[in-house]
Formats: sequence, structure tokens, C-alpha cells
Amino acid sequence: MECLIGIQGKDFVLLATDTISARSVVAMKNDHDKMYKLSDNLLMAVCGESGDTIQFSEYIAKNVQLYKMRNGYELSPHAAANFTRRNMAESLRSQRSQMVNLLIAGHDKVDGPSLYYLDYLASLNKLPFAIHGYGSLFALSIMDKYYLKDLDFDAAKDLLIKCLNEIQKRFIVNLGRFRLRVVDKDGIHDKGMVHAEPDESTK
Amino acid sequence: MAALCAEPPKGGFSFENCARDRHQAGQIPFPLARYITYKTTHHSIGWGECTHTQKNTNDNVHMDGVVLGADTRATEDTVVADKNCAKIHYLSDNIYCCGAGTAADTEMTTQLISAELELHRLNTGRIPRVGTANRLLKQMLFRYQGYIGAALVLGGVDTTGPSLYSIWPHGSTDKLPYVTMGSGSLAAMAVFEDGFKPDMTREEAMKLVRDAIAAGIFNDLGSGSNIDLCVITQGKVEYIRPHEIANQKGVKQGKYLYKRGTTGVLSTEVKKVEFDIIGTEIRRHQPMETQ
Amino acid sequence: MSILAYNGAAIMAMKGKNCVAIAADRRFGVQAQTISTEFEKIFEMGPQLFVGLPGLATDVQTVFQRLKFRLNIYELRENRRIKPKTFMSMVSNLLYERRFGPYFVEPVIAGLDPVTSEPYVASMDLIGCPMETNDFVVSGTCSEQMYGMCESLWEPNLEPDDLFETISQALMNAFDRDAVSGWGAVVYIIEKDKVTKRFLKTRQD
Repeated sequence: MECLIGIQGKDFVLLATDTISARSVVAMKNDHDKMYKLSDNLLMAVCGESGDTIQFSEYIAKNVQLYKMRNGYELSPHAAANFTRRNMAESLRSQRSQMVNLLIAGHDKVDGPSLYYLDYLASLNKLPFAIHGYGSLFALSIMDKYYLKDLDFDAAKDLLIKCLNEIQKRFIVNLGRFRLRVVDKDGIHDKGMVHAEPDESTK
Repeated sequence: MAALCAEPPKGGFSFENCARDRHQAGQIPFPLARYITYKTTHHSIGWGECTHTQKNTNDNVHMDGVVLGADTRATEDTVVADKNCAKIHYLSDNIYCCGAGTAADTEMTTQLISAELELHRLNTGRIPRVGTANRLLKQMLFRYQGYIGAALVLGGVDTTGPSLYSIWPHGSTDKLPYVTMGSGSLAAMAVFEDGFKPDMTREEAMKLVRDAIAAGIFNDLGSGSNIDLCVITQGKVEYIRPHEIANQKGVKQGKYLYKRGTTGVLSTEVKKVEFDIIGTEIRRHQPMETQ
Repeated sequence: MSILAYNGAAIMAMKGKNCVAIAADRRFGVQAQTISTEFEKIFEMGPQLFVGLPGLATDVQTVFQRLKFRLNIYELRENRRIKPKTFMSMVSNLLYERRFGPYFVEPVIAGLDPVTSEPYVASMDLIGCPMETNDFVVSGTCSEQMYGMCESLWEPNLEPDDLFETISQALMNAFDRDAVSGWGAVVYIIEKDKVTKRFLKTRQD
């Protein structure tokens, strides 16, 4: 029921997550933050089993920090994504595995922006745009049609809202507001909350 | 150094994926994957040569060799995965082994026991006995409670003469004058029961094994393609592969080649293979001394 | 549907005259949903040695990384390139070690011997039973279709250019009859002096 969306632009990556914390069919909270800061230029969006998401993402976040302290330099987004993948693949082989889906957004001085898609089986993909959850069934086709390489922030946000509108319109579950963040060369920036725009027909 | 070693070398099976695979089988409601299985005839038979001067000490049938035979089909469910695979495995210079069941298990089990027999030979300085191979195989298979799906026919010649065993996946064995294993074993055994007699000549025995395998190939769907034979006598092994191509493929009448340029190519990247010149040697022709 | 078909893949390899080819589709999906059409399934394990790993995508990546590690150790220890047959044993052992909790991949290996340039193709099931052939090997979710295509198109002693057409058409026509593989293809033609990598134009449905 949760939804994570990532869009890579010209020199940034946009991450958007829904803000509902759900137990069974009840929404317990509507300002939940599903994003974790891994380092200055790395942001991870997480969904899945509620205990696992926190446990796993904190473990990754702290280890990425530890790496920086030990070595004096940061993991690149590519390295961090692979570190996360390896941890997940190994946890998958343990007695109790984690059920977590991830998007990892990062910006590297050399490689530029990058977005990684990691599912609960630990398959890693580098993608221009990605969606986790039921929202993908409705919004991936919108992305396919309207995504352009090297789009700027406004264009990315427009595209995101197109996706949210479609999800709002077709998905029976109301996902409410989405939290927006951007990762670029200067770090991670809060871009507030967005809502799907009301459908013309219901105005 | 130890910290650098991501995979510390350790022997034996690794069970690290078991919990995950069980978990995944529940998570995604799928059955676990299928393995390639040899559904096959693997038969072999002992034979005796009447003209031989040396007699056995007891009054039993005199036999001085074994003939192992196998078809060459490997299947994955109903698909023929390999049309010409080798199912007669080497164990030592005087012992060979046919394998039916899960292909990887027969392959790996025979490789492992082959290595153990070689070490045994080097340690003792003696030619390994067929009984030793039998004991090693059955103890290993018993230890794994039938989960290693190897059904084997073991044959060879040692100081005690020729002998022949069938070994089941759970580790039980039979020592008999003629045995069959695999999905074609019923067809093959019918031929053996009809045609076996003590003191057969080498040619008679080879013919009987050929007929038994052929019965499997043509009457059992899990068996097919060619007939391989392995004739082991004192100090001599003849591995005949193929002994007979039971199913000759027809010659292709037409050409099905696509014209060059048919396939649409989006991009091409050519990478030259770099050669290292390890050394250069100039050889000068030396004229022969004629004076 | 088995776990092997969760992400979808089609890989095949063929022998030609003094050359070999290996080809794969490029789709990564989660059952029926396509996530990426740029997924790597063929990996370079030497200048003239390639391995294709169809199956569960997470295991494709893990098995490749573990193989690369073992291969690096081998090359450091031996100070020479690995032979395709030796590499096949390495893959086989890695998979059979996990006999009772397997990785869900069924590898395809293609290469030329680093010394003799002898063509080599082989394939394996998910617990590492090796299968070496003189013609072609296939593996993936549309293996039955690939068997059919290869069985009718392949012939001995194909020149590199003809081998390229043969393997490309065999692969494309096979995965066009499979819902979970396709969406682009990559073909490697491995010759004595060069390796040519081509991306193919394929159907996108």
C-alpha cells in the first residue's frame, strides 16, 4: 500500500514518499517520514514491513557513517548501493530475513546524480525513474510517456504530480500527502509536501 | 589477511541459502525449481570367457570382466536437455560407474569418490578394490539420507576378479551378476532376464548389454540417443563412446541461414583482444657440415 | 511458475568456426511488470570468456560477484588466464556447494581457450550439473523455444558474421514467444583477435 517514487533529473534526484504509517487497514499517522539520510549526498527511501524498515535502514545509515569515519572519505552512491545490496542479500539467507524495498538517491562529484532501485530480494538496478508499491501499476506508464532525460526540478515535480494524480484517481487507497526531497551537489533539500491535484470532474 | 578473505575456505555443503529458499517458496507461491535428471537406463552386466585358462577357486561361474552400458539422454522434466551426455563415470583405472537420478548428484558424487579412491591408492600403494568404492559410495549416500539422488551401477575388476554392484540413493547396495538402474531399468532387466547366461564371452556380453540399453532407449521415454559401453577386464579398459548411434539424425535438406544484415543493430562495440608477447626467438638455419 | 521465472531471462551460446557467440535479452521485471530494459545478464570473466546468468536477479548479481572473487583469487594464485573448462568447474563447484539451498541461476558459459583458441560452450542447471556440447546451449524462461530455434537454425562451421545472424534470430524469435523476457538483446561474438558486442533492435512488447 506504500509508495516510493524516484526521478533522476539533470543534476539532481527527486525522491517522494507517501506519509502514512499504517497498521492493518488503519492509518495511524499521516506525517510519517520514510526517508533516511545516509550521508551528505545520499538519501534512502524505505517501505515494507514496519519493524524491518527502521531496523535495516538505521543499520545501513550508521554503517555508511562508520565507513566515512574509518576511512576519511565517503562511500560513492554506487558503492553505498552495493553495500546495501550485499547486506540485504546476506540477511535474506539468514533465519529471519528483512522485507524491505528501497530507493537510494545520491549525487557524486564524478558520476553525477544516480538513482538505485533495490527490491526485497536484493536485486539492484540503476534507473532514471523508479516506483515501489502499488502506485507503480498506475504511474510507471506515465513516467514512460513523459519522462525526459536531463529534466530540471520543475519539470520533475510536474511529472511527479502527474503520477500522483493518476494514483489518486485510479487507486482505491488514499495515500494522502507525499513528502519531497531532492539530492544534488549541495546536499539534501526538503521540498515540502505535495498533494495530488483534485480531479477536474470532482471539482 | 583473514579479514580480507570474504569466503574462508571450508569443505562440504553450504546451507546458507536454505532458510531463504524456504522463505521464498512461501513468499512467492511457487514450487522450487526442477533439476536436470537423468531418467535413464543404466545397466551393466558381468560376463565370463570360456576359453580362459585361469579358473576361479570356487566352483562359481568364472567371470573375468564387466560390461557397463548407458544411454546418453539427459532430461529436464520432459525436455531433452542433453542428447549426448556421458553417464559412465571414471572412478579409477580399474573401476567405472554408471549414474542415474539427479545429474549433478551422480556427477559430483562420482568425482568425489574418484578422488578418495586415488588418495587411497596413493596411501596404500595398491590398486583399489571395487568393494572399497562400493563402501565409500554407500556410506556417503546413506549419510545424506537419500537427499543426494544418485542411483549408481558400479563395476570393475580387482584382485578378487570382476564385480558388479547397484547402489541406491539411500545407500543400500546389491552385488549381483547383472543389474540395471534408472527409468529404463525395467525394460533393460527384461532383456537381461531373457538373455543372461553364465560364462558368456566378451562379445556375447557386449551384445546383451547393447540390447538391454536399446530396450530402454526405444521403450522408455526417459532414455534415448546413443549407446555407450565400457568393457573392463584385468588390466584393460575399453571405453567405447559411442558404441552405437542408435538414433541417427536426418540430414538437413534446406539452408536456414539468415542473410547477413537481417538483424537490426542499435550499436556495435569492438574490443581488440590484446596479446602479450612472452618471448621472441630467432632461429637461424644452420647449414649441415658436409666436408 | 518457478522462482527461476520471477524476473525473466533468455540466454544462449553457440559455437562457430574458430569463434563463439553468447546472447541474452535485457529485461528485468518483477513477474509481469517490467522495471528495467538495461539489465546485465552476461558478464566478462576474461578477454575471451563470458558467463550468462539467467534466473532470479538477486542471485544473478550475487553469483556473479562470488564468481568474480573466486576468479580473481585464481588468477592471482596461478598468474595466468583461466581456461573455459576450468572456469566451468569453478561455477559448477560454487553451485553444487549449495546443493540443498541453491542459487536460482542456470549459467551459460562461452569462450575461447586462452592458449589454443578452441571454442567452448557449456551450460549448467541450478545445482551445477555441467553440460558441454559441440553446438549450442540455452537457458532461461523460454528455453523450450530457444531449443527449437537453435535446433533448426544452427549448423556447423558458421563464420562470425553468419553466427551473429543465426544466434540473434534464434534468440529474438524465441523470446518473442515468451512474455517475461525480451525488451532488447545483446550479442557477443568472440573471435581470436577481437570481441564484438552488439545491441539488437527488438520488439518492445
